[in-house]
Amino acid sequence: MTETLAADPTTVTAPKGRKPRRGRRRLRLWVPSGILAGMLAAAYLAPLPYDPAEPLPDTLAAPDGEHWMGTDKFGIDVFSRLVASAGVDIPLALAGMLISLVVGVLLGLAALHRGPWGERVVRALDVFQAFPLLVLAIALVALMGNNIENVVVAIAIINVPRFVRLVRSEGLTIRESRYVEAAHAIGATGPRVMFRHVLPNMTGIILAQASLAVAHSIVVIASLSFLGIGINAADASWGAMIQTGAQNMTTGQWWVSVFPGLAIFLTVLCFNAISDELQDSFGRARQR
Amino acid sequence: MRVLGYARRRVLFLPVGLLSVVVLAFLLVNALPGNPVGVIAGPAAGPEELAEIERRLGLDRPLWERFVDYLGGLVRGDLGSSYYTDRPILSEILRFAPATLELVILSLIVAAVLGVGLGTLGAYHKGRLADRGSRFVVTTFQSIPDFFLALLLIYLCFYLAGWAPAPVGRLGLMDEPPPAVTGALLVDSLIAGDMTVFRSAVAHSMLPVLTLGIYYSAYFARSTYASLVPALESKQVEFARACGLPERTVLAYAFRQARTPILTYGGILLAALLGGAAIIETIFSWGGFGEWAIDSILQLDMPAVQGFILAAGLGTLLAFTALDILVAVLDPRVRYD
Amino acid sequence: MSAPRQALSRPTNTGQGADREPRLLEVSGLTTRFDTPDGLVHAVNGVDFHVDRAEIVGVVGESGCGKSVTIRSILGLVRPPGRVVEGTARFNGVDLLGLRAAELRRLRGAEIGFIAQNPFSALNPVMRIHRQFANILAAHGIRSDAIARDRARDALADVGIAGPDRVLDGYAHQLSGGMAQRVVIAMAMLLNPAFVIADEPTTGLDLTVQRQILDLIRGLVQQHGRSMLLVTHDLGVVAQYCDRVVVMYAGKVIEHGSVRDVLTSPQHPYTQALVRAVPRPGHPLVHLTGRLPDLVDYPAGCPFQARCPHAFEPCGQVFPEPTTSASGRTYWCHLSQEREAAR
Repeated sequence: MTETLAADPTTVTAPKGRKPRRGRRRLRLWVPSGILAGMLAAAYLAPLPYDPAEPLPDTLAAPDGEHWMGTDKFGIDVFSRLVASAGVDIPLALAGMLISLVVGVLLGLAALHRGPWGERVVRALDVFQAFPLLVLAIALVALMGNNIENVVVAIAIINVPRFVRLVRSEGLTIRESRYVEAAHAIGATGPRVMFRHVLPNMTGIILAQASLAVAHSIVVIASLSFLGIGINAADASWGAMIQTGAQNMTTGQWWVSVFPGLAIFLTVLCFNAISDELQDSFGRARQR
Repeated sequence: MRVLGYARRRVLFLPVGLLSVVVLAFLLVNALPGNPVGVIAGPAAGPEELAEIERRLGLDRPLWERFVDYLGGLVRGDLGSSYYTDRPILSEILRFAPATLELVILSLIVAAVLGVGLGTLGAYHKGRLADRGSRFVVTTFQSIPDFFLALLLIYLCFYLAGWAPAPVGRLGLMDEPPPAVTGALLVDSLIAGDMTVFRSAVAHSMLPVLTLGIYYSAYFARSTYASLVPALESKQVEFARACGLPERTVLAYAFRQARTPILTYGGILLAALLGGAAIIETIFSWGGFGEWAIDSILQLDMPAVQGFILAAGLGTLLAFTALDILVAVLDPRVRYD
Repeated sequence: MSAPRQALSRPTNTGQGADREPRLLEVSGLTTRFDTPDGLVHAVNGVDFHVDRAEIVGVVGESGCGKSVTIRSILGLVRPPGRVVEGTARFNGVDLLGLRAAELRRLRGAEIGFIAQNPFSALNPVMRIHRQFANILAAHGIRSDAIARDRARDALADVGIAGPDRVLDGYAHQLSGGMAQRVVIAMAMLLNPAFVIADEPTTGLDLTVQRQILDLIRGLVQQHGRSMLLVTHDLGVVAQYCDRVVVMYAGKVIEHGSVRDVLTSPQHPYTQALVRAVPRPGHPLVHLTGRLPDLVDYPAGCPFQARCPHAFEPCGQVFPEPTTSASGRTYWCHLSQEREAAR
C-alpha cells in the first residue's frame, strides 16, 4: 500500500510538510556535534579546578562540592582528569580515523578497477577483518612499540578495511549509473571520473562511516589504555582512569571508574548518533 | 545434492583460507614495521644482547627461509613453544580454548535471544513507542564499552546487591574443580555429578556472560531490525495476512525471509568473540584463550602470539564456512556456484 | 464473543429496507491517511461503493489513485503509518472496520479471498507450496496434514494444474509466472469464499497468459455464485470481465455505474479521458497530461480540476454533489449542474 504511494514521487513531495522534519534532522546532527565540540573546548580552554596529574592528600574522596566527581586512590581530582582526557582520547581517535579514511578511500577507488585485483583485495580484507580487531590493535601496538604514535597507526590500520569495502561497494553501484557512463562517453578519463563523479556521490555515506569509525576507535583506545598499552600512564586517558578505579568497584568507590566510563559512553553515543543521522539522511540502512 | 557439491567446494577452499591466515600470522611477527627485537630487549640492551635475541628469534636469517621453517613446523603440528613457560603452544591453546568457547557460546546465546527479541519488538511496532524504546535500549547497549559494562555489573550485582560472586575466575577460591573431560566446567561438573561446583560455575559465569551478551545483543538487534522491517513490509507478508494467517505465523514468515542476514551476523560475532572476549576474560580472571593472548602479547611472547593468531584465524574460517553451508541449506534460492 | 458485536452492527443499514437482505459489501465514507515524514498523505478520501451478490465490480484508476489502499483498508491490511480514520465497510451487514483484529483475521481467507498482484512476491520463497496451503488451512481450524494435502490438491486441480503433487512439493521459484499465479488463485479459493478481491491479478504476466488467468478467475467466481472486486488499470479488462465499474481519482470515487453506461457514455471528464486513452480503430488516441494532485497538500474542491479541460470557477471551491441517472450510474462533477441548468 505504501509502495503505491511511494512509486509515484510526485504524490508525496510536499515542501510544506517537510519543513518540520528537516528541522528535527538538523537538531539531531547539531546536538551531538555541539556536545563533542564542547568537550574538546573544555579540555583545551577551560580552567580546571585542580591539576589533572597532581596527587592530593585526599585519596578516594566521594563526590562533593569540593571534588565534583571525587578523587581516585592517588588523590587525583577525577573531574579535572576526566576533562583533560577528552583532549587526548578524542583527537587520537580522530587522527587515526583520518589516516584510515584517506588510505581506505584511495585503496577502495583503486579496487574499483576492472580485473582480478579488485576482487583479490576484498578477499584479503575479509580474512583481515574476520580477525578480532581489538586484539589485533593490542598486538600491533605491543610489537611496534608502546607509544602514542603507534596507537594512531594501529587505529588507522584496523579501520582501513571498512572504508575500502564501503568505497568499493558504493562505487560499483555508482559506476553502473548512467551519468558515469555519460561522463565516459564524452571522453572523461578514469581518475577524473573517479574524483569528479564517483567520489562526490558517496561523501555522505563515507562521512557516516567515518563517524562510526571514530566511535569504534574511542572504545579501542580506551580498551588499550585500560590494559595499560599505548598511552603513557602519566597522560590522562579515560581507559586508564577506569583501570585505576577497577579495584574500587568491588569495594564501593564507584566514582573513580563510573565517571570516565560515562564520558566514553557519551562520546561514543554522540558519534554513533551523528553517523545514524548522516546515514538516515543519505537513505541507506546501516550495515554494521 | 547441489548443497553437497557446494559444501564440498567450500571445504576445499579451506586450505587456501588457512594459508592466508598462516601468512598473516607469520608476517605480523616477522615483518612488522618497527623493531620488535628492540622492543623485546628493552632500551638498556647492548648490541650483543640484540644479536642474541635476533638469533634466538631466527630474525638473522632471510624471510623466506624462516617462512619455510615455520610451515615445516606447522605441518608436523609444532607451533613452537613459549619463551617464558617453555610449554608447547599447541597444548597451551588446547588448554585455554574450552574456557573461552564456553564463555563465547553462552554469551552468544544470551546476545541472540536478547538482540533478536529487541530487534523484533522494534521492527514489528515500527514507528511506534515500542520501536523508539527498543532503539533507545540498543543504542545504549552499543555505546557502553564492554569492559566498563563489566565493572558496572560487578559494582551493581556483586558489591551492592550481592547476587553475584566476586570476579575471581570460573570458580570460587574454595571450589574444587571437577576432573577435566571437556575442559568446559559446566559440562565437566555435570559429568562428575558435582552440583555444588556446577552451581558455583553457573554463578561465576553469570556476570561475564551477561556483559558480553548485553554488549553484543546490540549488533543482533540492529541486524534483526534491518532485515525484519523490509520482510514485514513485503508483499509476501501482506498476502499471508490476506489469507487469514494469524500474526504469529505471519511473523514466522517474515523471519524465514530475514534469517539469513541474522545468521550471517551470528557467525561474524562468533568469530569476533573468540578473541574479542579477551578484555572481559582479563577482568573476570577467566583464564581463557583471550586472556592468555593478551598476556602473551604484553610479554612479547612471539610464538604464543603467532599461535593465537593462527588459532583465532582458523576458528573464524571454520565458523564462516559452516555458516555459508548452513545458509545454503536453509535457502533453496541460493545458487551454488 | 464476536456474536453480540455482529448483532449490534447489523440493524444500521444505509439505504436498505429492514426487510431486505444486506448487501454483500457496502463501503461508505472510507477515509485512510498515512502519517509520513513528508506530511499526512490523503490516500483515500470518503469512498462509497457497493458489491452485490454474484457480481463482478471493477475498480479503475491510475497508480496512486487509492484503489489498492481502498481494498487494503477493507481487509484491515493497512499498516502504520497508515490508518483508516473514518467510514464503514459492511460485509453481509457486519462492519469490517469495527471488528477486532482476530475476528477480521478469521474472515480473511475464509469468507474473503485475496488474489495478489505478483505471485512471486506473494508466495513464500523459502517454504514449500504444500506447507503454505497447510498453514492457511490451519489458520482456519483444519490442522490435519493429510486433509490439507487433499484440499490443496483439489484446489490446484480447480485452477487447471495437472500433476498437483509436483507443484506442492516444490518452491515458488520453480514455477512459471502463469503457474505461480494459478497457485495464488488456488490459495484465495481454498476455503470457498463468497467474495474475492483481486488486486491487478495479471500485472507482470505474458499477454497470452493474462487472458487465460482472467478467464480462469471469472470461471471460478461465476461457477460458485461468488462476487469479485477486480482492481485494474486496464479498461479493456473492465469491459470484458466486469458487470459494474468504480472509477477512482486521487482517493475519491468520481464515477460508478454499469460497465455499459460508464464505458459507452462516460460523464466525468476524467472517465472520458480514460476511455479516450484506450486505442480503438477510427478514434484518435488522446493522452491525459499532467499529474495526480499532491496528496499531502490536498486541493480544495474537485481533485481533477488541474487537469480538467472543462474546469470552471466552482471546481476550485467545493467537491461536487453526486448526479445519479435512472440506470443507477452516479458521477461527481460540477458540469452536471451546468447541464441541468441548460436543460
